[in-house]
Amino acid sequence: MKSFWNKISVVVMALSLAITTSSFAQQPGTTSYKCMIQMTNYMGEGAYIVISLINGKGAYEKTLYVLGSDKKWYPDVKEWHKAMAKKTPNISAITGASVAGGDRSVTVLEIDNSKLNKDYKIRFESAVEDKQYHVKDLEIPLTTEALSAKNEGTGYIRYVRFSPN
Amino acid sequence: MTISVWRYSHLALAVSSFLLLALASITGVILAFEPVSQKIQPYRAANFDELTLAQTLPVLKKNYAEISELSVDANQFVQIKGSDADGKSLTVYVDPQTGKILGTPARQSEFFQWVTALHRSLFLHEAGRFFVGLTAFLLLLITVSGTMLILQRQRGVKRFFTRIVRDNFAQYYHVVLGRLSLVPILIVALSGTYLSLARFELIKTEKISPDIDFDAIQSRPERKLADFTVFQNTRLSEVQSIEFPFSEDPEDYYTLKLSDREMAVNQITGDILSEVRYPTAVLLTTLSLNLHTGRTSAVWAIILAVAAGNILFFIYSGFAITWKRRGNRVKNKYSADDSRFIILVGSENGSTFRFAQAIHQQLIRQGEKSFLTELNNYTVFPKAEYLIALTATYGLGDAPTNARRFATLVEKHPQPHPVRYSVLGFGSHAYPDFCKFAFEVNQLLAGQKWAVPLVDVHTINDKSPDDFSLWAEAWSQQADILITASSEHLKTPEHPLEALTVTGITQTAQTDGTFLIRLQPKHNLNVTSGDLLAIYPQNDHRERLYSIGVLDNELQLSVRLHPDGLGSGFLHRLTSGDTIQARIIDNGHFHFPQKAPVVVMISNGTGIAPFLGMISQNNPRTPCHLYCGFRQRASLEIYQRFLDESKSDRKLTDLHVAFSREDKKQYVSDLIARDADFIMEVLNTNGVLMICGSLAMQKDVLELLGTTCQTKLGKSLSVYQSHGQILMDCY
Repeated sequence: MKSFWNKISVVVMALSLAITTSSFAQQPGTTSYKCMIQMTNYMGEGAYIVISLINGKGAYEKTLYVLGSDKKWYPDVKEWHKAMAKKTPNISAITGASVAGGDRSVTVLEIDNSKLNKDYKIRFESAVEDKQYHVKDLEIPLTTEALSAKNEGTGYIRYVRFSPN
Repeated sequence: MTISVWRYSHLALAVSSFLLLALASITGVILAFEPVSQKIQPYRAANFDELTLAQTLPVLKKNYAEISELSVDANQFVQIKGSDADGKSLTVYVDPQTGKILGTPARQSEFFQWVTALHRSLFLHEAGRFFVGLTAFLLLLITVSGTMLILQRQRGVKRFFTRIVRDNFAQYYHVVLGRLSLVPILIVALSGTYLSLARFELIKTEKISPDIDFDAIQSRPERKLADFTVFQNTRLSEVQSIEFPFSEDPEDYYTLKLSDREMAVNQITGDILSEVRYPTAVLLTTLSLNLHTGRTSAVWAIILAVAAGNILFFIYSGFAITWKRRGNRVKNKYSADDSRFIILVGSENGSTFRFAQAIHQQLIRQGEKSFLTELNNYTVFPKAEYLIALTATYGLGDAPTNARRFATLVEKHPQPHPVRYSVLGFGSHAYPDFCKFAFEVNQLLAGQKWAVPLVDVHTINDKSPDDFSLWAEAWSQQADILITASSEHLKTPEHPLEALTVTGITQTAQTDGTFLIRLQPKHNLNVTSGDLLAIYPQNDHRERLYSIGVLDNELQLSVRLHPDGLGSGFLHRLTSGDTIQARIIDNGHFHFPQKAPVVVMISNGTGIAPFLGMISQNNPRTPCHLYCGFRQRASLEIYQRFLDESKSDRKLTDLHVAFSREDKKQYVSDLIARDADFIMEVLNTNGVLMICGSLAMQKDVLELLGTTCQTKLGKSLSVYQSHGQILMDCY
């Protein structure tokens, strides 16, 4: 009887180890961050927000997340659409719903550890149908410090908060 | 004026918006199926309505590593966003009771997304939204004007849902379906307009976020989720969404977005940190969305689909009606100044025009100069000999829009020559005030010096061809021009003829040539006193009509022999035992009233004929007063014995006779003037007046009655005429 329980515990340990390693193996060198976007009480349609990684030269490097699923409105997010819309494969995997005024949205961003505390920035670009477009509604340096603070937006975004997932 | 304003605005609004309206309706019908297709999915918890947050939230928290948001959609499906034990993010439908995953929300289908965009903005963004919003507002106005038109058509709010007279398919169903889908369409239009106003920020729907005093946030006492009073008191069905605290920091809190307010709840103590009620405008927006989309109820969504489908039908039928009405526009071959026949029409929806056209065409085909126009275009017609006025009645016995100025115009433009007129009223017994305006026109013409009555005023119930042919026959006989009920049959109408045997004929009275003839039908006939007998003296289209009195199952005619009379000569030559072919015409409007408390019969000359039959059949002994006029005492002789007997038998209550060439030289109208108080009392107590005889006598009597009614009862004579209290059959 006792040997049976031993066997079980071994199996459980092995399994849990396997799960942990496999989940790490999927994302080598990346960390997930929960990212909460709190919107202002603006009136109008749901905002389309694109979260992008910007390199030291100020160029788009990678699309981290797109809030807003109807491709018809992507051209409204002008700069990103010009630079990245066609270069982002499998965009639907990192797409969520648009966010209306007063609402908040929580998404999970995968961030490459090697980019942290280097000369990278995270940009929140926002557009609302027939309303002003904000190329830098919010842009923060990709630093440990910035990721732990509350960052105020300038357009439809009231603030953004991060927390390690 | 009000009637035409509603009608014109109804049409103008429809014309200006029908393209967009059709588009919005088609897309609307399609979109109604979106909520229906969603609701058939099995994601709604069985006892959803009973669950509280205190029951739900602890279960969900236990089942999922992380929840950032819970939302309840219009289908009452509970959806959570968060992550599972492995940190993988999740967006799933869950069972709020067990926490089990029920399914993954599908993205809105591309098709419905496309149709929605078309419905809302025509793919034209702001401009499109504006036009769609405007269309919704126009629909609102169309609905209001349509409702006013139904109210006018049905004559009042109380009769709103009573029977509708059927003119034709498009008109009938336009009104019938209009009444049925009035409420849903009004709601669609109203909610659509509201949503557009909110969209363009003309109605402020800004939400106010809870204001939180972070210094006052407590971290004690720590309570379990299930013990939070606010969660125990809040049902899941009130929830729109719940934002979970972003971290375990006491400064992060639950945000509950309920159907009518927003609350912030301390995640440790369960205290309510702040509570804000939504402004009314926000609640109205939600309500409008629910009503406009049908997202909360599949049944309502289907009702909306049907209503939107009806709008398409209204567009079709509305234009069909307009088209038809425009088709009635008159093209006259001859000018008003040249024409011998003037046909004047009063019609609200154009159906009366078709009868007028039939008469007009037949006259033209017979080489006559005829001019057809609206009553409002009445003027001086220098060559007119005949005037036919065909008119409907609108609203509460009012003139149709195109006849409103007629009364003023008649006073203003007297005709230079005598004109023989005939009035034909169109209406339906489904409405009170049957043909009231036609009676008014008749009364008005009767009061004109130049106007000579050709035939009695006739009424046509529900476009009855029989009623029309009755008039056509009477008119044809007087004018000696053949007009038939249907323009296709210009030949002798083929009616079944009856064989009648002469059983008795009196000698003509010495001076005025009146004689009585009795006829015995071969078969048992359905004939009532007041019906007409049509005889064909030459066996051709020439027809002569006589009023029938039924006595002892025989038909009795009272005839005056005219020197060259076609009919009277023919009848006079008959002797007992002869057989003639004739036709009986049902003349229902001149039968003895079945319910009247008292009946007054007014006749002159041979007009007494139907009354003789009625008196002889007055077995219920309805009080019956006969006022009759003759030239001489001798003319009365052939009736004297019968009348005396009837009086002693109480079938006749009273007899008043006027002789125009003997004694006091009175006319029957003088007797009526003498007994005016009694006659008014009869009318006032729902008694019935029956008038039979010459049109000249009728004209005098009506004029007299018209003024006495106005002065003594304060009502127009046409009120009594339209309620069937004055029955006439004159020639």
